[in-house]
Parts: sequence; structure tokens; C-alpha cells
Amino acid sequence: MSNSLKRSKKAALILMVPTATLLLAGCGSEEPVQTAVYQNAEECAAFYNPPAECTAEFAKAQELHAQVAPKYQSKTECETDFGAGNCETPATAAVSTDPNAPVQQQQASSGFFMPMMMGFLAGQMLNRGGAGQAGSQKSVPTQPLYKSRDDQSTYRTASNQPVARQSGVTSVMPSQMQPKAGNVVRRGGFGAQAQQRQSMTSGG
Amino acid sequence: MKKIAIEQRPGWREYAESVGFDFHTFDGEPYWDETGYYQFSMRQIEDDLEAPTEELHQMALSLIPDILADEQKLIALDVPPAYWDWLAESWRTSQPHLYGRLDLAYNGQGPAKLLELNYDTPTSLFETGFFQWVWLEDQQMRGRLPQGADQFNSLQDKLEQAFASIPLRQPCYFSSVDGNIEDKGTINYLMDIASQAGIDTRYLPLEQLGEINGQLVDSQNYPIQAMFKLYPWEFMLREDFGAHLLTSNTQWLEPAWKMLLSNKGILPLLWQKFQNHPNLLPAFFENADSKPLGQGWVRKPLYSREGANIELIDPQGQRLVVDGPYTDAPFIRQAFTPLPQFDQSFTLIGSWLVGDAAAGIGIREDATLITKDSSRFLPHIILD
Repeated sequence: MSNSLKRSKKAALILMVPTATLLLAGCGSEEPVQTAVYQNAEECAAFYNPPAECTAEFAKAQELHAQVAPKYQSKTECETDFGAGNCETPATAAVSTDPNAPVQQQQASSGFFMPMMMGFLAGQMLNRGGAGQAGSQKSVPTQPLYKSRDDQSTYRTASNQPVARQSGVTSVMPSQMQPKAGNVVRRGGFGAQAQQRQSMTSGG
Repeated sequence: MKKIAIEQRPGWREYAESVGFDFHTFDGEPYWDETGYYQFSMRQIEDDLEAPTEELHQMALSLIPDILADEQKLIALDVPPAYWDWLAESWRTSQPHLYGRLDLAYNGQGPAKLLELNYDTPTSLFETGFFQWVWLEDQQMRGRLPQGADQFNSLQDKLEQAFASIPLRQPCYFSSVDGNIEDKGTINYLMDIASQAGIDTRYLPLEQLGEINGQLVDSQNYPIQAMFKLYPWEFMLREDFGAHLLTSNTQWLEPAWKMLLSNKGILPLLWQKFQNHPNLLPAFFENADSKPLGQGWVRKPLYSREGANIELIDPQGQRLVVDGPYTDAPFIRQAFTPLPQFDQSFTLIGSWLVGDAAAGIGIREDATLITKDSSRFLPHIILD
């Protein structure tokens, strides 16, 4: 080693060296949590749950629906993902949520389309009597569920996490069940010019 | 400045691959070439390369206010008007920049001549900052090079310091065209250094960017607050997603104002402002009245990388053309200057800056006068 000034004092790599990648592995300490999935409040009650709780949980999920459902700019795009006749606009959703709500729901002009809610995850249903799961790390929020066009038998969260194939009790990873705002997303990013001018690198 | 043959390190290819340098050989031809190296004196490095690099950089920076204040210049540089205000804002708010590379013609004597600035997406970073550094240490350890030998190469140190000191929002996304291994290699190296500086880094292929209400988002729809992109600004402005640049709250590396300096139009502007500066070559914008290219002149598109679409006629009338995809932008003309020749190869010096400081050199060799992406990379030492 020299003590010169013209070159770097060290040139270490931490990510590019294969052995170092081990540092990134293994964060799998999360445990699955039991929860339940139902089509609606009636089905929930039919599984011998207290009807009042079923109704409350269902309402909670419906409230979240407008916020978290994936949004599309056209009905066609939405139906491509969720199937013909399975999409709605936020306003009609709001109307069906609360038939007593008057004309104020006319703000239908959002112009977005989103899939209809096909069921709900009853997050708190099985946690009666205080934390069903010992020291349950992260809770599973009650939320709406959807079914995609190409897989009508699976309940999925708004962010496309499969949850269950049938109604009833199921296990989920809490970290994968955290609802996020569902926005109108355009994908595509950049890169088109590089494709046109193919076989080149972007640097120089 | 001289070229000296040296024995290659046994097993260097395996070593290169183990550190992610997968493109050391391209299409069966060597890209990293350690059959020889270049030797400079300290005076050559400090007086002829380091100092002029920083001076040329300051000269280039001094042009930015001139350009932003003059629509004719923005038009000459082919910057789409929709982006003028946004671009000016990136300069007015002093958005920090990371790095750049000047390409210099230098033969060991006399002033180095500026051929162009690569100020937006310069590559050969890993070869310069890491691989040639390790090469020197290895050859010294093996006793093939004297212990007193040094290298003009503080690139990795300076990049790490820059990542640690630039006010950078986090996480910082690093992005390149999906599937391009050379670009991904550069990205991996930068992410590695940024991580060592304590930056929270994420990789995202450029094609996977999304947009929500004018904000660029990652594949999980999280807003992208800071992004290093290894992709030319001039492409981004002209793609469908370009409009979102105007509305997205995203800090960019390089910042938008850097696109003015990576444009070959900067060469005639430099010549206009600093005519007869010893490190500059005469350069002019091509226009409808320009005569056919004459002997001793070079024609370059405003936007071009890796030597593409360059046409050259040397003083003897010999003509050299490299095809490429950049036929759609205006051209500039630059006076020809010969690259020095060593062992039949033409040698070009890439002189790096991190922030505003000179940070080292990387050397490229080609069988022709136009340096291309296939041109070999050779290491160097400083020894008096």
C-alpha cells in the first residue's frame, strides 16, 4: 500500500461480491395469522359468527373498497383484469353502499373504474377474547376482496395478494395484507428510445 | 506518457466475473485489456490532465446561465420548449450533480484537447474506479510493478464522499434499461458505493416506472422521490412518460440541467465563449449553408454515444464514418485533432469528475480514430 494522494484509499465492494449477498437473505421471522373470508355479511353469519359483528366488519370493508380498489381509466382496461360486468365507477359503488344517501353522490364524474367487491377479509373476527394469536405481531385489517378475470375461484386483496379459494377460516401473512390507497396507475416508464435504437447501451 | 507491455494476472477473468464485471469480453473480443498499461509522469497527470479537466468543467458550467437566458441557444441545442422552465428550475435550485467524464486527446505533450463531454450517462466507471485500481494493487503485490507506482484514480473514494454529502432523498432508486448487462454493471457498482455511504438504494428497471396523478411511482406504487437513471435525458424528454417529469416530485441524478452539457452543441458554445483556449478545438453548429465536410473536420450529432454517427475526414482526406441510430438531431462540426498512436492503436483519455473535482482517468484504445463501445480499456500508472 502506498500513501499516495492520486488514487482511492480503498476500493471495497459490499453488494457485488457474491458472499456479501448473504447479508440480504433471511428476514423470514413472520408467522401466519388466522383470519376468515366471506362473500358478504349473510355468509359470515351462516358460518356461526355473531351477525352484528358480521355486518360491522362487512361495512368496514365496503368503506375501504372505494379507497383501496385498483382504479382504471377505462371500463375496458378494468374488465380486462376483472371480467365483463365486474367493474363499476366509485359513485355507483357509493350509491349501493348507502341507499339512503341522497343526491350528493352525484360527484360521479371521477371517471374511474374499479372492480366490484367480491367478498371481504374479516380481519378481527377470530381475535375475540383478546389476541387469538399469542402476542400477535401485526393485525390483519378488515378489507374488501376481489376476483380476477382469469382466476374466478380465488379471493384476492386490492393489491392482488391471493387470500383464499373458499369462504371460511384461512391463514395469511399480515405483512401482505396491509391495504394501500388504490390509485390510477399508468405503467410503461422509459426505455422506448433505447428499443428503437436497439443494441446500444445507454451510457457513453 | 508511454505504453508498456506487462504479463496478465493469472485468473483475472474469473476474478472479474466474481465481482460482477461480466462484460470484460465483448463478442469474443477483449474489452478489459491488461496485456499492457500506460505510464504517465506526475507532472503530466497534474498539469496536463487534472488541472485542465477542472478548468474545462468550470468553463462548461459557466455556459449554463447563458443558455438558459437565450432561447436561440436552447433551440440550437434542440431542447424541447415544453421542458425549458423545468430545466431552468433544476439549475436555479442548484440540484446537485454526481459525475461526468471529459474525453481528451492527449499524447504526453502539449495541451490536451477536449473532444466532448459525457455529462449525463458516462460509463466505464467500474473499470476505472475499481478494476484498474485492483489491477495496480495486484501487480504491485506480484512484484511486476514498483511499490512507488500510483494511479490517477480517486473515483470510488470521491463517489462515496459524494453520496454521503449530496442532499439526496431516500430511498434512492437506481434505474437502467432492463436486460442491458453493461448498464446494469454500472448501476450495480454505483448502488454498491451508495450503500457503503449509507444510502438506502433500490433497483428498478426503467420500463417498470409507473405514474399516479403525475407522480412517478415504483412497482409497488410508492412515490419515487429520488432516482439515479442511466438513460439519456434527451430520450426521456421525447418518450410518452416524459410529460410526467414536469409534475413528478422527484430528485434526479444527474439533474436535468446536466442535459445541456452532455449535448455536443456545448462544443461550439464553448468555442464561441473561450475562443483559442488551449484545451479547445474550433467547433461550429452545422446549418443549411454549411459546405460539405472538408479535410481536417469531424461531424458529430448533438446526441450521440459510443462514437455513433460520427463522420471524420483527416487532413490527408481519408474519410471514416461510424453508423448509428442518431440521425434525427442536428449536427456540429469540430476541427480534427489526431489521437496519439501506440502499437497501431489510437488512444483516448476519459477524464472523470465527481461533483466539480477531477477524479481520475480511464484509457480506451481502438484500431480506428473513432472510439466506440467496443474500444478496449487499458489500465495506467503514475511513475516518475
